[in-house]
This record gives sequence, structure tokens and C-alpha cells, in this order.
Amino acid sequence: MAGYTEERYDVNGIDTAVFTAGEGPPLVYFHGAGTLTGFDKLLPLSERFRLIVPNHPGYGASADDPSIDSIQDYVNHYLDLFDQLGVDELTLVGLSMGGYLAATFGIQQTHRVQQLVLCCPIGLRVPEHPITDIFTVPDEQLLGYLAVDLSCFDDCVPMPPTPEFLAERYREQTSTARVFWNRVYDPKLPKWLHRLTMPTLLLWGEQDRLVPVQQAAVWAEHIPSATIRTLPNVGHLLFEETPDATGAILEFAGQGVAV
Amino acid sequence: MSVVDDMKFYFFHHNHYAEVPKDHERYDATWVIPPAGELFDAEKAHNFYRHHLRMFKLADDLGFDGLCLNEHHNTVYSMTPAVSVMASAVSQVTSRAKIMVAGVPINLTTPNRLAEEYAMLDCISGGRMEFAFPLGTGMEYWSNNGQINPTSSRARFRESLDVLLKAWTTEEPMSYDGDFYNFRYLNPWPKPYQKPYPKLFVVGSGSMETVEVALDFDMGYSLVFVPIPVQLKAFARIREMAEQKGKTVTPDDLIIVVIAYVADTDEEAMREARPYIEKFWSWFHRVPPKFLLPPGYVSTSEFLRRASDAALAHGTEATFEDMVDISRTIIGSPDTVADTIAQWAEEADCSRINVVLEHADMPEWMTVKNMTLFANEVIPRIRAKGTKATVTESRELAAVGS
Repeated sequence: MAGYTEERYDVNGIDTAVFTAGEGPPLVYFHGAGTLTGFDKLLPLSERFRLIVPNHPGYGASADDPSIDSIQDYVNHYLDLFDQLGVDELTLVGLSMGGYLAATFGIQQTHRVQQLVLCCPIGLRVPEHPITDIFTVPDEQLLGYLAVDLSCFDDCVPMPPTPEFLAERYREQTSTARVFWNRVYDPKLPKWLHRLTMPTLLLWGEQDRLVPVQQAAVWAEHIPSATIRTLPNVGHLLFEETPDATGAILEFAGQGVAV
Repeated sequence: MSVVDDMKFYFFHHNHYAEVPKDHERYDATWVIPPAGELFDAEKAHNFYRHHLRMFKLADDLGFDGLCLNEHHNTVYSMTPAVSVMASAVSQVTSRAKIMVAGVPINLTTPNRLAEEYAMLDCISGGRMEFAFPLGTGMEYWSNNGQINPTSSRARFRESLDVLLKAWTTEEPMSYDGDFYNFRYLNPWPKPYQKPYPKLFVVGSGSMETVEVALDFDMGYSLVFVPIPVQLKAFARIREMAEQKGKTVTPDDLIIVVIAYVADTDEEAMREARPYIEKFWSWFHRVPPKFLLPPGYVSTSEFLRRASDAALAHGTEATFEDMVDISRTIIGSPDTVADTIAQWAEEADCSRINVVLEHADMPEWMTVKNMTLFANEVIPRIRAKGTKATVTESRELAAVGS
């Protein structure tokens, strides 16, 4: 299994990093509100797909753009990028904030998104099982909210954290706050989820402390085509915690596309 | 001509919820999340407000040039989350001194409404108002996230000031079309009593951005609690930048904040004041670092600068001596306090002093004693250092000092 190739694109003035691996039909992965753990655990997807992992503006290896401050700005940004990449129809996978973005992209580009995988997405207001407000979690407890098995941070979190490491986290939190400072959901999202008519998988860690697994059923109520798959003993960063996460995606999406 | 010739002394009062619980160690924060159920008592609050108004009245009677009050939210530090309400009350128990509101974070409200509110105060007080505009501490953004986003705070701050000044100075109803605000009929009523408007300042912590805002809007510049070298650097920066822009910054455009306690001798002053000033830092400034810098409140490079500076990163662990060293805290006899403040003013080339004289939960008699000594013993000593001071005054003071 080969690693990623990094490509750079000028997307409407934003220097955008795109990591790709493998051959086949395109599968785009929208990451969550941080790039701390990298994306190597997604590489099994490259065995069946042309795996495309862009870094959002203001995250990881992509440049900042303070004017990207709404979900719609992200959708437009990716319309631009996909034009450059020559990606038309695609399988779209998104985790957390990336899941919300993928759902929104799917609502607007229903006919392009062939298959949709929403991994513990934010975006929905579920008063009985609310999303943890990530901004209020004390720094020293944050990792415990992200994963059950903290060993997945061994290689990516310096102890003690260096000023440079903290500044990079602050930068990504700033990018997140531009869109989500007030709240991490859109009360009107349920009104439009019916447009997600493509095969849709809701993939969730059963021990998710940020977006409770009980929200999966609420998403499924609004998306008639959705199936739910939950992963036992897994937290929010499900790809970091178990290879079953990519396995579940290959099982769901790998059959439906011509290689 | 010396800077002390035109010194102005403002009684800067924090309006604390002035009670420190015996078991204060068990509280992590007195900002943003202090539990009101455990710490707030409405009857005590009523008495604190009465106390604070008495102190403003006393300061007016004692001859302070001005009275200064500010606004914070969700905190025992300040009982004035709607500071204009308090300023209105202050205007009615005083008659002479200027009243500086320093101030409503303009991002927390709409600028046309603040233009109305401040114009009301100026008319009510008969032109005694001055205003200083803070960006708002990081904590205000946690306490009011539904209204404001720290990531756009600086851009909104600029536009809001622009709206407010236009609202005050335009004679006809006008429209305004900005990035954050759009007004069809901007036409606040009343307009300020003072023409074109009261003396204005920006409150900053020394960053390039706030310094530039002050100059661009022709306002003075006031500093919050930051280390003295940072203050001096900020003043140097504003003068340098002013020169580039062809503007002048006078000593009357700059404010330094001084924490002072006066008693007959240095020893007595330290013995009396120290426990309260310690509590001022340890209880009234109990802020988890996370609350100081919400995401986007500063740039990533500024964040890195602060995270790399051990003193800034671990400021909450500073000792009493550290705090006295880096801040403008002066505790001592009238001579000690007068000499130090005069020296600070000259160093900073700044003629406005906002002096804090009530510290933490100190009893009212101590505040009254401190205020009285400062007004009657310290201010005349400082004025006597000026070139305008007459020989007679100097003799009288020498007699007092002996």
C-alpha cells in the first residue's frame, strides 16, 4: 500500500494541499476540525479508489483564508477544487465537521455524489443527545474526548506540547471558530436532508464523547436511504482506533463502483 | 515645561463584587464561570452598589479630575456589565469631575445604539463624559458568544467605531453600508453635549493593531494591565506610527493605570495593603489561560509569541513581588508614591493617570483613607514637581512632609 502524493492547487487564491493515493473512481475525504493525527489510516481506501484528501483552508498544509467563514464558503471552495481536479461524480466521505460539510455538499450536488459516508457528523441539533461543545473542553482533557485508546496520539502529540504545536492547534481552532463559534449545528439542516437520496452510510464509534452515537438514528430518520453501522469500543476519531472503519466503507462503497 | 504640569488624576474604580470566600481555593475561575448560586447574594450586591456610588461621590468631593469605570461580564471582578447604567447613576451623585466610561465593548452591542447611549450620558451629565473603547477581553467573547465571534472581532471593532463617529458627526440622517452593519437611517438622537464629541480613547494591551486603530480614528490610547516594558514599547510605537502618519500624540492622549496604596510610612502602607492587593491578583484575576485567548482573538503568530514567552504563558503563577515589579503598583508613604508616579509619567511622557485605590475586598474605611491621602498628600506633591508650581505651594508641602 503506497503512501500519499502531495499536490498543491491555487483555489481562487487559496494555496490548497491535496493528498492523493491509489487509482480508481474518486473518493474524497473531508477531514474534521483538526489534522493532528494525519490521514495514513485512510490508505486502505486507496486499494479500490483514487483517494483524495484535501486539507481545508486554514488547516494542515493548506493556507489560511479568513474570508472562508461559512459552510457555504466551504462548499464553493470544493466546487472550485473539484473542477481543477477533474472530479465530477464521486464517493464522498466526511468525518465530524467534514461530515456536516459532506452532507451539505450532497444536498446541493445530489446527482454528483454517488455514495455518501457520514462519520459521526456534527451539524444536527439533538437536544436529548447534544454535541459536546469542543471549545469548552479543557485542553488537558481534549484527547480523551477524541479517542478511547490514547495511544493513537503517541506519535503526533509532543509531551510536553511545544509552543509551535500549540500554535498550530490554535490556528486550526481559529479556522473552526470562524464557522462554528456560535454553534456547531444548523437548526434548519433536517429540512433539507431528504435530498440525500444516494446510498448513505452513517458510521459511528459507540464510545464517541463528542457526537453521541444516539444521533445516528436521528440522521437516519431524515435520510431514508441511510444505513447505520456502529463500531464498538471506538471514539470520535474512528479511523485512528480501528481498521474496521475503512473496512466498513469498503464494504459499503467498494462494491457499488466500477474499478 | 514638564509633563507633570498638566497631570490629570482619575479615580479608576473596578466596582468589584467585593467578597472573597474563605474557601476560595476550590474555585477555578472568577471569570466566565463563577457559580452565582454559591457566590452571589442580591442583598450584598445592593450594598456593594451603594458603596461604589459613595466612593465615586467621595472622589468627586476630594477633587479628582475624573472618575473612571469599566465593563466586564460574568465575573466577580466587575458589577458593571452594563456600565452605562452605572455611569448614569454616577453622574447623579457627582457634579464636577469628568466621567470616563472605559467602556462598553462596542462589539457586544450595535454601534448606533452605543452612539445613542453615550450621547445620552453626555447630555445627562452636561458634558462631563469621556469614553474609552476596549476590544473586550478574551473572556467577554466566551460570555457572549451568541453575539460575537472572536475571529472577526478586530475587523468588527474598526467598523463599529467608524459607524459611531459618523453617527455623532453627521448632521443629516445617513445610510451606512459596511461589512458587518447596514443602516438605512443612521440618525441617533440625542447627539453628544460636547462638540464635536467627548474625548475618546482606545483601550489596548499594546498590540500593533489597537495602536493603529487609535491613530486612525484620532483617539487617545489607554493601556490595561500589561508589564511596564510592554506599555513603554506601545507608547513608543504609537508615537513612531503617529509621526509616519503626520499626526501628533500629546501626553494628554495617553493613559497609564496605577495601583496605589498610601499610608504614613512605607512599612505601614505595605502592611495594610499587601493582603488585599494579593487577593486582587489571586481572586479577582483568576482566569484559566484558555479564557484569555479564545480562538482567533489573536493571530497565530501572536499566539506563538505568547506561548513561547514563559512569563506570559504562566502569568497566573506570578508571585506578589513579580506582579509589583512588572505592573505599576506603588505602595508607600506620600513621598514614595508621589515620586514614583511622577517618574512613571515622565518616563512614559504621559499626563493622565488612572489610579486604582480600592483593592479586592478592603473595608470601606481603608478605601476612604487611601483616597483621602492620595488626594490630599500625593496629588499636591506631584503637582509641586511641575515648573508651574509656586514657591508658596512647595513650602506648604515641605511643611506637610516634615
